[in-house]
Amino acid sequence: MPGDSTNFLAAKGFLLAPLLVTLVACTAGNGEGLDANGQPIPITPPTSSQFQEIQDTVFTPICTQCHIGANAPHGLRLDAANSYALLVNVASDEVPTLKRVNPGNPDQSYIVQKIQGNAAVGGRMPLGQAQLPQDRIDLIRSWIAGGALPASVAPNNLTVASVIPAAGKLTVIFQGDVDASLAASGTFELVDGFDRPVLLAQVQVPAGRPNVVELTPVRGLSPGSYQLRVRGQGPVALADTAGHVLDGDADGAAGGDFLTSFDVSAGASR
Amino acid sequence: MSFKKYWILSAVALLSLAGTANAEPYLAAQMGLKCASCHVNPTGGGMRTVFGNTFAQTTLAAKRLGDDSDLWTGQLSKFFAVGGNLRADYNWEDVPHQATTNDFDVEEARAYLDFSVIPNRLSVYIDQRFAPGTATNMEANVRYWFKENTYYVKAGRMYLPFGYRFEDDNAFVRQLSGINMQAPDEGVEVGLELGSWTAQFAVSNGAGGGNEVDQGKQYVTRAEFVQSKWRVGASALYNDTDAGGRTGVGGFGAYDIGPVTLIGEIDYIDDDTINNGTKLLASLAEADWKIKQGHNLKLTYEWYDPDDDVDENEQTRMSLLYEWTPIQFMQVRAGVRFYDGIPQNDNQNRTQAFLQLHGFF
Repeated sequence: MPGDSTNFLAAKGFLLAPLLVTLVACTAGNGEGLDANGQPIPITPPTSSQFQEIQDTVFTPICTQCHIGANAPHGLRLDAANSYALLVNVASDEVPTLKRVNPGNPDQSYIVQKIQGNAAVGGRMPLGQAQLPQDRIDLIRSWIAGGALPASVAPNNLTVASVIPAAGKLTVIFQGDVDASLAASGTFELVDGFDRPVLLAQVQVPAGRPNVVELTPVRGLSPGSYQLRVRGQGPVALADTAGHVLDGDADGAAGGDFLTSFDVSAGASR
Repeated sequence: MSFKKYWILSAVALLSLAGTANAEPYLAAQMGLKCASCHVNPTGGGMRTVFGNTFAQTTLAAKRLGDDSDLWTGQLSKFFAVGGNLRADYNWEDVPHQATTNDFDVEEARAYLDFSVIPNRLSVYIDQRFAPGTATNMEANVRYWFKENTYYVKAGRMYLPFGYRFEDDNAFVRQLSGINMQAPDEGVEVGLELGSWTAQFAVSNGAGGGNEVDQGKQYVTRAEFVQSKWRVGASALYNDTDAGGRTGVGGFGAYDIGPVTLIGEIDYIDDDTINNGTKLLASLAEADWKIKQGHNLKLTYEWYDPDDDVDENEQTRMSLLYEWTPIQFMQVRAGVRFYDGIPQNDNQNRTQAFLQLHGFF
């Protein structure tokens, strides 16, 4: 049990009172010379991609109140330097069967469930605040539906953003709008783990999603390993609607095949 | 039951404990008690002790319903105790340039279980959150007290010790440290409850309650010197992650001047993972005026600097809350919070108001 400290009361009061006065004397900044996120206004104008807009209007001004630094909740840092890498195709901590951002699928993206308030675990985000404005939620959903592309897109280059095996088909998302007339089985080559060709029944750019190509194998995608090649060179090289050939090897210059391997689990093979 | 009997009962309850609430530091400061007096968790928050439950019925509430036989202690048996919290809110928020919003909300519903398999020695403690969302474990740890409850070791999932464990997880000082009632972590904690001292040291994953992703660990310590009318303490943390280190220090204290209790905390964080190194500061000053038994008026003023190297980006938050505890285990809280930040950011200039019904035991 704490002891009596009468002798110290006056002294402690004199010490604490100035401290409290000091604490309440601090005021809010006037924001001079800063952008809406409290950072010095950049000399170069920011990019205008969907993700950049989400970063500038949601993640940085609202979410980073907590989701920042080494102690960010669930290790999810939403500052500009880290948000994309920690969101897209990263499994959620609270519901590991869901990705935080599942490109092409907003309803199966945990971040959408959290901001809509229908997540299985925990409270709606931002915690302790009103729901995000509907236009911000719609923006995030739209960004994910469009493939969850990063903020910076190299000019004049078509590149692959992500490859998603799901529901018996393969979805390839590009940074840029694909020339649909070039989306054919010769441009997209799929082989299984034994290097056997997987026949494609359909290769198409779905309506309303010009940056996406969907590949539908004749017999679906059975569980196992696969390798996908997208031609960025030769007579069947893929290009965007402006004629820019695919930068498949991501060297910053047009040309080069895109090559990736992936596994299909039993749950994703339907 | 007369007040005299209440106090005797309280004293008996206190004496029956050798040093073992919910997170309202002003109550501890008003009473000149440590957190461990009212909470099973020596660092405060969560399940209440027999004394904590008795205090809630005899001292905190304006009026106690029922008779002697209705006294709730939480102890269902010598070996097993239960507790809980439920906060139902009506919230209103006004963000500049946006439509005003309001909603009803269950802020949280939690149940606490404490299995004292060896009374006053070995306990298994569980804090389970049932709302919002599905059931989620917030704390699950085993705690062993040594030598007359002088020191203990605790291992498992727990809230870490840093600063004051305020009920408001959105307080700037709690957001800054990242250590609050929403972010438990897995690790080991040792603690000391000796005379006027209470101290803890913990090692945890340091992944913000998420899965461990690297080899580095977080080290957190807190020490407080508690007297009947004043208290002062300090905290420190270091989180070693692959992305960079995070170092933090803080000081806190309280002073009871009769009907008013003053509380202050100031924290400083240097985080390598933010913009290759950012220094952040936050402070809180709180005054709690016990108007009369069961009635508390709380005024807080908070200040936050998200980047010490950038001028004029600071934020403040001022809150005025009225807490009315008409009967035992039920509290009505009403409050308004004014945020003030840079004019370019609407969110930093919002106003919130809430009405909350808080049931606890």
